Order: sequence, then structure tokens, then C-alpha cells
Amino acid sequence: MSLLSVEGLTKRFGGLVAVDDVSFAVEAGEIVGLIGPNGAGKSTVFDCLMGVHDVTAGEIRFDGAAITDWPTHRIVTHGMARVSQESNPIGRYSVAANIRLFTLPNSVFSFHGGASDAEIAEYAARVDLDGRLDERPGELPHADVRRLEIAKALATEPDLLLLDEPFAGMNQAEIRTLSEQIESFREAGTTIVVVDHNMGGLMDLVDRTLVLHNGRKLAAGEPDDIVANDAVQQAYLAGEGA
Amino acid sequence: MADAEGRAEGAEGAAAVLARSRSTLRTSVVRPVGSVATRLLEPLDRAASPAAAAFNRSLGQYFGTVTGLQLLVLITTVLALFAAPLWAPYIVGNYLYTLAIACVWAIFAMAWDVQSGYTGYISFGHSALSGAAGYATALLVVNVGPNLPLWVTIPVSVLAALVVGLVVGLPALRLQGPYFSLITFVAVLLFYRLTIGFSEFLGGETGFQEVQAFTYDPTLRFYYMLVPMLLVAVGLTFVARSNVGMVFVAIRENESAVAAAGLNPTAFKLWSFVMSAIPMGIGGVLLAHFSGNVTPSSFVVVNNSIEMIAMAVLGGIGSVLAPIGGAFLFVILRDEVLHGVGHSLRYFTLWMVVLAVLVFARDGVIRRLWHAIGAIGGDSE
Repeated sequence: MSLLSVEGLTKRFGGLVAVDDVSFAVEAGEIVGLIGPNGAGKSTVFDCLMGVHDVTAGEIRFDGAAITDWPTHRIVTHGMARVSQESNPIGRYSVAANIRLFTLPNSVFSFHGGASDAEIAEYAARVDLDGRLDERPGELPHADVRRLEIAKALATEPDLLLLDEPFAGMNQAEIRTLSEQIESFREAGTTIVVVDHNMGGLMDLVDRTLVLHNGRKLAAGEPDDIVANDAVQQAYLAGEGA
Repeated sequence: MADAEGRAEGAEGAAAVLARSRSTLRTSVVRPVGSVATRLLEPLDRAASPAAAAFNRSLGQYFGTVTGLQLLVLITTVLALFAAPLWAPYIVGNYLYTLAIACVWAIFAMAWDVQSGYTGYISFGHSALSGAAGYATALLVVNVGPNLPLWVTIPVSVLAALVVGLVVGLPALRLQGPYFSLITFVAVLLFYRLTIGFSEFLGGETGFQEVQAFTYDPTLRFYYMLVPMLLVAVGLTFVARSNVGMVFVAIRENESAVAAAGLNPTAFKLWSFVMSAIPMGIGGVLLAHFSGNVTPSSFVVVNNSIEMIAMAVLGGIGSVLAPIGGAFLFVILRDEVLHGVGHSLRYFTLWMVVLAVLVFARDGVIRRLWHAIGAIGGDSE
């Protein structure tokens, strides 16, 4: 059985159909790319997976459970984590405390608990942040703030990690490093779905690609086939032209 | 257009004058005084730092860490409070009475802070919680029997505060920002109207006078208020420095991150009301037994809710302990320093002080003092 399976996912905001009858599955151990021009509905799909939005129609199954109507925190506890496009660390907490928050047990009676300092350093080390544990997020360069977001998600020990535009605003060297780190998460047993709005950067990293356009599934397949796909070319060109 | 520009310039000019006078104040008063204080206090800090280190090692993870001087100030303050019956009579005024009242309000200010200050869901209706406890005590005494033991009335009254707290807190599950605050505000207005509207049951404007005061001995009464206040302070500090406090702050700073961390924001928001309502109930019971009177004006009216907030603001919101200092400042100003001044002018002055703190020291007077003390000699925050 697939780790994640999405059947007929539809999300309407008033008259706007942001996601229209999208179905796909992700197998354990894969790195799947979810691409499409701006406004294609990629982030909305992630929001639906994470329980941020109520879905209009469709079913989401994850790790053996129907999670369609679950609240976000329950989905996270069940093993799914998302790194949003926007960074939102807590400015008054250090990098270490920001990570620690994501390791706390979900119980109002748990006054003490969560990860030890050593465990927090380990999560940070997975994205090369272990030298900055005592700094405040506001003191970090952009790429490190993005890494902190990933470290926070890793600290929830996810089976499935959703990355929304992880490369945005990064230079070539940073993109290369991050790609290698994402590959290492997979080797450590985490399945990954990456959203990106441009095709180029992602194709070396992913096993499989899913293309969204205007909320619909436009194409799916191996990266090479997708790049050669006429409909995909059209969608991107139309997007550029508009 | 020109008029608007002129006004804008005027505002800028005023801001510049304000900024200049602040910097003058800083260079000619604050800094010299600060450096003298530093030179005098540094040896004290050094002398106490082994004790502080021992405290930090053993209790630091539960209550936060302190510097040597901070520990000294803390211990001195607690000792001075316990010794108040020895020194208070020598000061003009009725300090033992005032300090006892301040202890009760310190409980309210701390309890408000652990919910509103920490989670950022600002309640304008916390007097409904203490009111529920006070009225529960009065209603039990009047309707069930004047000889009900305290071990019955106190838990039932605290439970009443808890129930009202959860009812007021429920909107927090759906509403954010000003809408939540407005609901808490309306809750208190409703409570007040109920006490008048159902006066045959709730005592009306004059409330109840049947509650037995703990004691009329001023010294003993002071300790009846001080000891619970200190216990509440220890309890709430423990909560605030724990994971739970960390999640409360995270709710204030970034609620969606809390859910993303796998933590149920709804449960923690309700929990903040529980953590707040229990001490509010304790404070309400103390206030009821302080004088034996339970009236809308001493418990319910919305002014009481606002005064709790003012105390927390004076001390420093989001720190649990600083609001204690804020409560003492507020009550001593009101009942002692401004005692001779007429009611309106007294409150006008008080609110001006609160306004000044909001503008010039938004993080609170007591918290600033605490950090200033921590900066002397110490290397920790």
C-alpha cells in the first residue's frame, strides 16, 4: 500500500477551484516532485494534506489512516511534516528552542520532556545548523532560516516530509548542498514530496514528477519525459506569457 | 494638505524633543546612577553567585536561572514581606492592610498574565473568574449554611471559577485577536447585569455581607494573603518555565507553528484558562474572606478586570513574577501614596502612570529593573 494516496482531491474557495479532482500516490522511500506554474494549486494541495484547509471533496490516506478530516497537529503526530514557503520561526527563541518546540509531547500534562540538547544538535546538524544553535533566527542569513524550518520539520520525526519551494532565494551552491541534504533524508528513511514552480532545479533530485496546472493534474512521470512533454511546455509558456 | 503636513511636522518635532529628553535623561541620570550602583553592587553579586549557581543547578530548569544579585534581591524581598508586620507600622499609612490587599491583587495579575500575557489571547474579563469564586463562597454561606467548613467552600468556589473560566475561554477556540477580547469583555458585563437583574438570588448592588472574614487581626490577615500569594507565584512560575509555558508563548508568537509542531493549540489554549482560573479562584476566595463582603463593585465590575491588566503591564507582561511587583506598585500608589487625593484625580494619576509605562517601558518597570539587576556583574541574561 502507498504511504500517501490522494483520491479526487478538490478544494474550492468560493467560486475559485484551486484544486480540481487531483489523484496521486507516493510510495515509501520516494522523492516526488510536484511542479507547476505559479497559481497551479501546489501549495493548496499541501495545505489540504496538512489539514490546514477543509477539503471540498476527495480522500487522503496516509500511513494506513484516512486523514482527510484530521486537524493539523494530529497529522503531524501521525508522521507528516511540512516546510512552508514562508519561514516563521519564533524570533524570541534561539534556534535550539525553535527546534525544541517541535519535539515537545502533545500533552498539557507534560511539563518537562521533549528532545535533549544533544538530540536538538543532531536535528540541526542534518542541515548544517549545529554551529548556530544559540543564535536568534533574526541573526541568521536567509538560507539558514530556511534550513531552520527544515530542522523543525525533521524534529517531528516525519515519515513523509513536504517541502514547499525549499530552494527559493538560494544561490547555486546552497541549492546543491540542500539537494544533497534532502537526498540524505531519504536515505535515513524519510519519504519526500518537493514543490517547485520551475522545472529545472528539481529534475536531478526527484524520482518522479507530477505536474499541476490550473488546479488539475496535467502530467505525471519520469523527469525526462516531463521535460519533453508538450502540454507541460505549453503550460509553462502560457504562464510566462500571461 | 499643507495643514496636514504641518501637523505631521509638529508630531515629528514633538517626537524629536521627546527622544532628545530621553537621551539626556539617559546620559545625565540613568547612566551615572547605573554606574555607581554597579560599583556598589558588584561585590554583592560576586558574594551571592555561588548560591545562585547552586540554585541554577538544582532548581534552574524548573524555575529559570538567576544571577547572584537577582537571587539576593529575591530573597530580600520575600524576607521583607514576611517581616512586614515589624516595619510596616513605622510608615505613615495603613501599610499592613494595603500590602495584604496587594497580595490578593498580585494573584489576580499573575493569573491574568499566565493566560493573556503568555498566549496573547488578551482577556478583558478576568474579574468574572474571581467573581465566580467570591459569589460561590457567598452563595454557599447564605443558601447552604453559615457553618460550612472552608474545605468545602474553597474547593467549590475555585471550581466555580474554573467553570466560568472555561466558558469564557471556549470562544478562544474559534475567535482570534480583538473578537476574543470583546467576548471576554461582554462576559463580565453580562455577569454584572446578572447580579443586578437577579438581585433576590445574587444580592444586587449591595451583594452579600455574610461571609466570615478569616480574621480581623491585621497581622494574621496579612499572612493569610501573603502565603497563598507566594505559593501561587511558585506554582505559576513552574508552569511558565515548563514546556507548557513554552507552548503558551508559541501560541502568542505563531499559532500555526504550534499545530505544525504536532501540538494541539485548542487543548493548550483551554489549559491556559485552567492554569489561570484556579489561581483566580484562590484569589477570589481570599478576597471574599478578607472583609466578608462580596459585592459587584469589589468583584465583578469591568474596572477590576482592567486593573488586573494594568498591574501586569506595570510589572511586565509575560513573565508571571513581574506582575506581582506591578500589583504592589499599583495598590501602594492607589491606597497609600495617592491616599489624600480625591477619587477621580487618584485614578486619573494611576492611569497616566500606566499610560507612561506603556509608552516608555512597554516591557514593564519591574522586568526592566530585574534585567538591570541581572546585568550588574552577572554574565547571564
